[in-house]
Amino acid sequence: MPIRRKRSSPTSDDPRNKKAKVSNWSRRNELENDFSTKRCIAWFHEYTDTDEDVLGPEGMEKFCEDIGVEPENIVMLCLAWKLDAKAMGFFTKAEWLKGMTEIQCDSISKLQGRLEYLRSMLDDPVHFKNIYRYAYDFARNKDQRSMDVETAKAMLGLLLGKHWPLFGSFHQFIEQSKYKVINKDQWCNILEFSRSILPDLSNYDEDGAWPVLLDEFVEWYRENKSMSS
Amino acid sequence: MMIFRDQVVRHPTIRDHLRTTLLEMVARERRGEVVDRGAVKNACQMLMVLGIDSRNVYEEDFERPFLEQSAEFYKSESQKFLGENSASVYIKKVEARINEEAERATHYLDKSTEEPIVKVLEEELISKHMKTIVEMENSGVVHMLKNNKTDDLACMYKLFIRVPEGLKTMCECISVYLREQGKAIVSEEGEDSKNAITFVQSLLDLKDRFDHFLHESFSDDKQFKQMISKDFEFFININHKSPEYLSLFIDEKLKKGVKGMSEQEIEMVLDKSMVLFRFLQEKDVFERYYKQHLARRLLLNKSGSDDSEKNMISKLKTECGCQFTSKLEGMFKDMTVSNTIMEEFKTSLNQSSVNMAGVDLVVRVLTTGFWPTPNANPRCNIPPSARTAFENFRKFYLNKHSGRMLTLQPQLGSADLNATFYGQKKDDAGGAGAGSKEPRKHIMQVSTYQMCILMLFNKSEKWTFEEIKNETDIQERDLIRAIQSLSVGKVSQRVLHKEPKTKEVEPAHVFTVNDHFTSKLFRVKIQTVAANKGEAEPERKETRVKVDEDRKHEIEAAIVRIMKARKKLQHNVLVAEVTEQLKARFLPSPVIIKKRIEGLIEREYLARTPEDRKVYTYVA
Repeated sequence: MPIRRKRSSPTSDDPRNKKAKVSNWSRRNELENDFSTKRCIAWFHEYTDTDEDVLGPEGMEKFCEDIGVEPENIVMLCLAWKLDAKAMGFFTKAEWLKGMTEIQCDSISKLQGRLEYLRSMLDDPVHFKNIYRYAYDFARNKDQRSMDVETAKAMLGLLLGKHWPLFGSFHQFIEQSKYKVINKDQWCNILEFSRSILPDLSNYDEDGAWPVLLDEFVEWYRENKSMSS
Repeated sequence: MMIFRDQVVRHPTIRDHLRTTLLEMVARERRGEVVDRGAVKNACQMLMVLGIDSRNVYEEDFERPFLEQSAEFYKSESQKFLGENSASVYIKKVEARINEEAERATHYLDKSTEEPIVKVLEEELISKHMKTIVEMENSGVVHMLKNNKTDDLACMYKLFIRVPEGLKTMCECISVYLREQGKAIVSEEGEDSKNAITFVQSLLDLKDRFDHFLHESFSDDKQFKQMISKDFEFFININHKSPEYLSLFIDEKLKKGVKGMSEQEIEMVLDKSMVLFRFLQEKDVFERYYKQHLARRLLLNKSGSDDSEKNMISKLKTECGCQFTSKLEGMFKDMTVSNTIMEEFKTSLNQSSVNMAGVDLVVRVLTTGFWPTPNANPRCNIPPSARTAFENFRKFYLNKHSGRMLTLQPQLGSADLNATFYGQKKDDAGGAGAGSKEPRKHIMQVSTYQMCILMLFNKSEKWTFEEIKNETDIQERDLIRAIQSLSVGKVSQRVLHKEPKTKEVEPAHVFTVNDHFTSKLFRVKIQTVAANKGEAEPERKETRVKVDEDRKHEIEAAIVRIMKARKKLQHNVLVAEVTEQLKARFLPSPVIIKKRIEGLIEREYLARTPEDRKVYTYVA
């Protein structure tokens, strides 16, 4: 931003002069502070090969480095959600533009300024639910309808690991089970379960239309708890 | 009058004396003495009258103490009786006492006393001792059932019906005994469960026995009827082979040559079998086996009478609706149509000079979907002559019905082979020249697989099992069974010689023709299937897998049907409705229904409502 120089009054009787200078300055301000589509797109292409429309894994790596966020950080998921990205590890030009416009970011620094805001989305239950649900389609292998269990474990850890006391047990349960995939219904219900069922499972209702996966988890948990206690 | 009552009758001494005298007289009569009934009658009448408009006087001065004394008396009498007598004697005595007291009330007490005194007796003699009577060792209900004491049971029934819970007590005791008997029959360790025929026959006999009791002793009482049904339903479903066994039993009765039964008797047995059928929980398993057995009967021409078969099917239709029986009816139609086609084929053969390689061919064309199909179409290398003959038929058929496909089903076919045995007959007399030196000719009735095996011996005299397997390309399990029946089964059926003579078949074992084979019959039938034992384990497991697959589809169809109609439904309600719809065929567990719901959610037929995850909606 150019240093504002205090002008001494004598020139004030030249209105045109002053006006021109003032508007010049504010226009430059606009230019620097405001969002520029052009700049946004140019920034996008810093991470793509030539003029391609898709930002791939290599570019993503550089991108993360630039903004100083690890790729596994949950904030990246929030960002992807904002961009409504279809596939993990990729941003299309359209997704980038639409999303970045929405958060008014066309540079690394601007985005860094917005990271807190993005992270705060997780604190709102409604937004969190949306991000959680979004994560399923985002992270799964597009060739299949369901998410493979390894990806599921990682994503669940990312999303629920900190706040759900039963996550550790659930992770263990999945490991020893025969499940190879998690379908969308099970995914969504896991969130519901983590939100409504107490850690000691005392309010778990067998008639609650929970997916069989969770019935089995409860059974396993109760069996193993009684064995270890 | 009132003065008389208050001053005289109710004068303390007189009152007491009157009461004591009356009670004493009753007590004496009960002990068997003769008393002046007239006097008592007058006294009672007087008391009644003194009550003017009510029976209070009578009641207070006589009846109440009378009832109390009676209760005491019968309390001790019941203890004594029970200690000294068997249940049936006790019952008769009780009956006698009740009659006596009723008569007493009518004759010389006031009639209105009859009801309360009988109640006292019922209470003291019956109610308080119900369980003791029923469970009395060596004379109670169980003893009576075991020894067919129909009359004693009838007496007990008539007695117990008087008191609340009386019949229930009897029912409970009988139920325990019945279940025990039933469990013994169906138990896997028991002798009965090794053979389908004895299994079912024992159950039918048990049912007959109890139906007899129901009718003769219990007046067809509904409570007893329901108990018997529930008990049968309970134990018949303990053994998972019940549906198969029932089908085998019926199969036996529908086959040709059912020994010693008239048409009417067969009809009656089939009706009784239907009663057992109703108790089965896994009716879909029965359907599957019935189809299999029917197919066998039709294709091997073993049916006794078409009418009996159709009769049985209509019985099933009445029970289960047409879905059950439409395929069975389709099988019959196929048989008729096949006969027509064969005639047309024969005509066309006569008119043309097609080479049938000397094979007299009979083809049955089966519509896929009606008939039981194997898991994967079994392979089989048919000998060239048979193949030629069949190809001719195939051409003929496809000419008539282009666009159809014919696939040979080697596991269902049979063949009649001309066999010549050149060896000497084994002779037990052992004399020289005693045996016939003429080659013996027989017709061997064998399965298609066995035909393939036997025809190989026209090419070469010796074959190892491994070689036979490679040449015929038949599935090992079926091949082993087929060849065992030809070589190590009944002596009268050993067409082949096996080295070594063990029952087990190994790849290196060697087979040759048994030239010493003899039989009294010209036509020798080789049995492969040991029918009445039911399926062997591996096949049974396969059938079970197929049943489970079908059930998955039926459950899903039911779910979709219900949701399409109701649009929105809560989880528990949906599960209940599905169970209700399917219970005529089998009992689905709630867990399996839930799994199917999840499957349908995944395939987007259903969805959970956003407001309440326990409520599903139908996705159009």
